[in-house]
Amino acid sequence: MSEEVRMPASPEYHRPRSLEEAWRLLEAQPDARLVAGGTDVLVRLREGRYHPPALVSLRRVESLRRIEPGRAWTIGAGVSVAELLEHRELAAVFPVLVEAGRRLGSAQIRSAATVGGNLCNASPCADLAPPLLVLEARALIASAAGEREVPLSEFFLGPRRTALGPGELLSALRVEAPPAGARATFLKQGRVRMDIALASVAVRLELEGARCVEARVAAGSLAPTPTRLGEVEASLAGTELDEATLARARAAAEREVRPITDVRASADYRRHLAGALVVRAVRALTRPEAR
Amino acid sequence: MRDTTWIGRDLPRPDAADKVAGRAAYIHDLSRPGMLWGKVKFSEHASARIVHIDTSRARRLPGVRAVITGDDTPEIRIGFLRDNVALKRGRVRQQRDEIAAVAAIDPDVAAEAIELIRVEYEPLPAVFDPEQALHPDAPLVHDRDASGRPVTSNLLPVSVRHVSGDLAAGERAARYVAEGEFSTPLIQQSCLGTAGCIAEFDLRGNLTLWAKTQIPFLAQRDFVKALEAMGLEGRNARVIVPALGGAFGTGLDTHCYEYIAMLLAHRTGRPVKMLYTREEEFAFLSPRQSARTRIVQGCDAEGRLTFRRIDVLQDNGAYTSWGATYPTVMLIPATSLYKVANVWFDARIVYTNNTYAQAMRGYGNPEVTWPIERTLDDLARQAGIDPLELRLRNVNEPGETTPMGLEVTTCGLRECFDFAREKLDWAKKRGQQRGARRGVGVAALVHVGGSGRIYRSDGGGVILKLDDFGNVNVSYGGVEMGQGLHAALTSAVAEALGVTPERVHVNPTDTATCPWDVGTHASRGAFIACNAAIRAAAKARTKLFALAAELFAPEVARNLEAHQRRNPGYEPPNFDVGAACAAGRFQLASGVVTLEGAPAEPWLRLELARLLRAGHFRGVAGQMIVEEAFYEPPSTLPDWSEGVGNMSACYAYGVQGFEVEVDDETGEVTILHAVSAHDVGRVLHPQALRGQVQGGLAQGIGYALYEEVRTHEGRVLNPSFTDYKIPTAHELAFPVDVHFVETDDPAGPFGAKGVGEPGLVPTAPALASAIEDAVGVRIADLPMTQEKIVRALREQRAPRGS
Ligand SMILES: Cc1cc2nc3c(=O)[nH]c(=O)nc-3n(C[C@H](O)[C@H](O)[C@H](O)COP(=O)(O)OP(=O)(O)OC[C@H]3O[C@@H](n4cnc5c(N)ncnc54)[C@H](O)[C@@H]3O)c2cc1C
Repeated sequence: MSEEVRMPASPEYHRPRSLEEAWRLLEAQPDARLVAGGTDVLVRLREGRYHPPALVSLRRVESLRRIEPGRAWTIGAGVSVAELLEHRELAAVFPVLVEAGRRLGSAQIRSAATVGGNLCNASPCADLAPPLLVLEARALIASAAGEREVPLSEFFLGPRRTALGPGELLSALRVEAPPAGARATFLKQGRVRMDIALASVAVRLELEGARCVEARVAAGSLAPTPTRLGEVEASLAGTELDEATLARARAAAEREVRPITDVRASADYRRHLAGALVVRAVRALTRPEAR
Repeated sequence: MRDTTWIGRDLPRPDAADKVAGRAAYIHDLSRPGMLWGKVKFSEHASARIVHIDTSRARRLPGVRAVITGDDTPEIRIGFLRDNVALKRGRVRQQRDEIAAVAAIDPDVAAEAIELIRVEYEPLPAVFDPEQALHPDAPLVHDRDASGRPVTSNLLPVSVRHVSGDLAAGERAARYVAEGEFSTPLIQQSCLGTAGCIAEFDLRGNLTLWAKTQIPFLAQRDFVKALEAMGLEGRNARVIVPALGGAFGTGLDTHCYEYIAMLLAHRTGRPVKMLYTREEEFAFLSPRQSARTRIVQGCDAEGRLTFRRIDVLQDNGAYTSWGATYPTVMLIPATSLYKVANVWFDARIVYTNNTYAQAMRGYGNPEVTWPIERTLDDLARQAGIDPLELRLRNVNEPGETTPMGLEVTTCGLRECFDFAREKLDWAKKRGQQRGARRGVGVAALVHVGGSGRIYRSDGGGVILKLDDFGNVNVSYGGVEMGQGLHAALTSAVAEALGVTPERVHVNPTDTATCPWDVGTHASRGAFIACNAAIRAAAKARTKLFALAAELFAPEVARNLEAHQRRNPGYEPPNFDVGAACAAGRFQLASGVVTLEGAPAEPWLRLELARLLRAGHFRGVAGQMIVEEAFYEPPSTLPDWSEGVGNMSACYAYGVQGFEVEVDDETGEVTILHAVSAHDVGRVLHPQALRGQVQGGLAQGIGYALYEEVRTHEGRVLNPSFTDYKIPTAHELAFPVDVHFVETDDPAGPFGAKGVGEPGLVPTAPALASAIEDAVGVRIADLPMTQEKIVRALREQRAPRGS
């Protein structure tokens, strides 16, 4: 007798209202896939990249959607990019997040896409990652067993791989309000305006007069994960950001990044963009009107 | 130019409201009772022997109604050279070859069934580069032609050549010579509505196919042939065209999926719908041909062109579509864009194992205008002549007969250049803004404006059916695909017949009700349809006025009685109605029949609807007004081996110009301002026309800067809009000066020329010229991506070899 052939089962769909309920679902079905805005999950489901037995939507979990000001701000993982952009107070404190959020997808995508989804997706091109890296955000990871905090720089382990363990989810980000002398900017280059970054950089400088006392530089789409560029930072810190320094920073960026060649762009062009964007970002931050 | 009531006015487009409100029914919206969903299993190899196809698991999936392969269905040969079969047998020649198909109760079951089909292949040698395909040792993509004769080369037996004048003499006369190799990529037509169809048989074996086609009647012919292959001789294929979300050339051929839907519908006895997803459309529908071009042209010391030589190599892919006739249109710019004596043109089309390509808007014209216009800039530089001035020294003019034998009846090219020069502030800007990395550039075009004869009939018919209420139902066999054909046709019928546009209703295109038309290509839709409509309207007016000769006087006599009842004491003016009727002095305008020279009395006029009813309800003498006219344009089918013949009734000209700013770090090109000036003969419907020009411009910008279907060994690497980039509102946020030069062509309906394609023809060279003006880099291979611009800038900075 020939074996029976059947349609694959559609994933079950759960909509918990609390983290506790979500954890219970995850415990019952460890292979379940979390869904926030679904703008990555649905694309990958449709492409047949994974076949989870269940989807656990986080959209009804209110505690993930908070934005709390403070010395260190708390930004819930379930906050949508559109909500992030609409939060006036947050925009005033972290304008660089607004710059990056505005460049993420289209208006439709931004209303669905969440901050947590952007980071947990762990794509090298995640637009919110470079600014959050230069802000030295910390990831709040929560599970039934409790909460832990890791620096965002340790959150990304590789393409599509994060520090989240079984039963864990990202609940929020903790971001310190920057000191008075600090300013940051985000630059992204696509093939057209609305595109996945071929390269992106976030640069945060702390200046004392003309001197740069601290530089933080992070890059997207230029390595297997969003990443800080330590050599570039070192080339900028402690200098007056003169032309010679910028040339060194450009060279350091071109050296330090590890881009790939794909159908979107060559590694060579991406490397070039890394240098160009770093220099452009520093110039933008030190222009008189930026001060 | 004739005075008109409706022509040239911005009437609302008849299709607009329903489209905007989401009511227009596209193939995606259509459903039939009992309908099944079809899906195709495509090849995973570009060149292989099919060893075995295992469909057993697919057949056992609940909800599957049929699984078919080439082995258990009749062979249906299709394509321009009949070198393609609907379901492949034994051999695949491209990544997207159709190996098997299923019909199932819903799209998900169909998709799952496809996943369950296993195919065993034995890979065979393949060739992907058209140059290499010409090598004597290259594997043959086809070792036999459609009639079974062995072939020895990958070169297609489609030859289009042209030699005129004395090339050697032209070369000797040249003081300056520019040459180069240029290429244009495979691109996707990127229709908003993806491909699809529904096939349904009645119990007598007649087929109805709802098709996304631009050629309903040539498709009908193809489908009837397929019915014969299926053992259904003498049965009919009826083609109905639903609302189309763009076609851009994708509808110029029939497609394997349509025949597969037929086979599945026949096998299951149920209607079968096939619909491509966006990803399938990218990977499995034919993109625009790619072409490589070698050009040499020269001019004398004054900048007058003395010769031009163009050699084209076109990658056909594995099978042949109508796109293989691109060179017939390439001949037009090659021989006739600017005045040039002494021309050589040769095109070779080569089979490869790449995805087979098909036509797209512009049909070979942009591929050749690109190298012509780019090398003109070189000549201008060498000769020290301003590039716009050099173009004007060679500008086409009315009265000219070009080397190809094109007879230029009207030509507004000079006026187009004048407009562009003024709007771009050319004298101040060209070559003046290098410091700001800004530049301006222009390029021109010539295209068929009065249809393009590449088939033994280039005609089309229109039927006007008038009803008891004064409605005019218009049937035309060409296709509204978003371009505004029905808008132009509505205005033309209203104008030519003498009714108001609200009374004109253009019927859906259906081979069962519409007269034959060769298809909506070559910018011919409005030109042919309106010409036919004018003729049909003239016949209808003759009949109406004959009716009026009998019925007008008694009807207005009744009017007068009623008028006098309402206005006691009213005395009619002294006017002999009977004599005027006998003299046939009738006029029909805005749906009202009047007599020429008659006083404007309210009773002395007859609504068209009343005349029609009076003609209908008169016992045995009753009659209907249904008139047909077939219009065949005054052109000749060129002799392709000589490349000579006046293939169009008139020619369209235009100039595009751009001002751009180039980011020399990222290579990003920002368009600051665009100019698009066109000799359109006459503006029929301004809004539809602007739509054509602006849409063409947007598509041309995509072609110039962003778009390319990337492949590796014949497999499409970027089958979605994530990685196939077309411009969006952000890239197109610049002012456009659109200008129409009205040259009132004698062949045109009301003087109008075809305008569907020109908008994207000169876009790339005009942009390239502006980019070169801005930062000095020259890119020969489209698209001019940021990455290529950065590379060129680096080469420019770094001395060679370092
Ligand atoms: C058309 C389009 C354009 C896009 N453009 C951009 C762009 O310009 N820039 C950009 O960066 N991205 C872009 N994206 C990608 C995507 O929209 C973003 O990454 C978005 O932020 C993802 O958020 P989401 O809430 O939709 O994630 P989901 O799709 O819901 O989830 C993404 C991943 O994160 C996991 N996840 C979600 N929330 C949590 C959580 N709290 N804890 C643990 N795991 C979690 C999910 O399981 C999944 O693996 C685009 C996507 C589309 C479809």
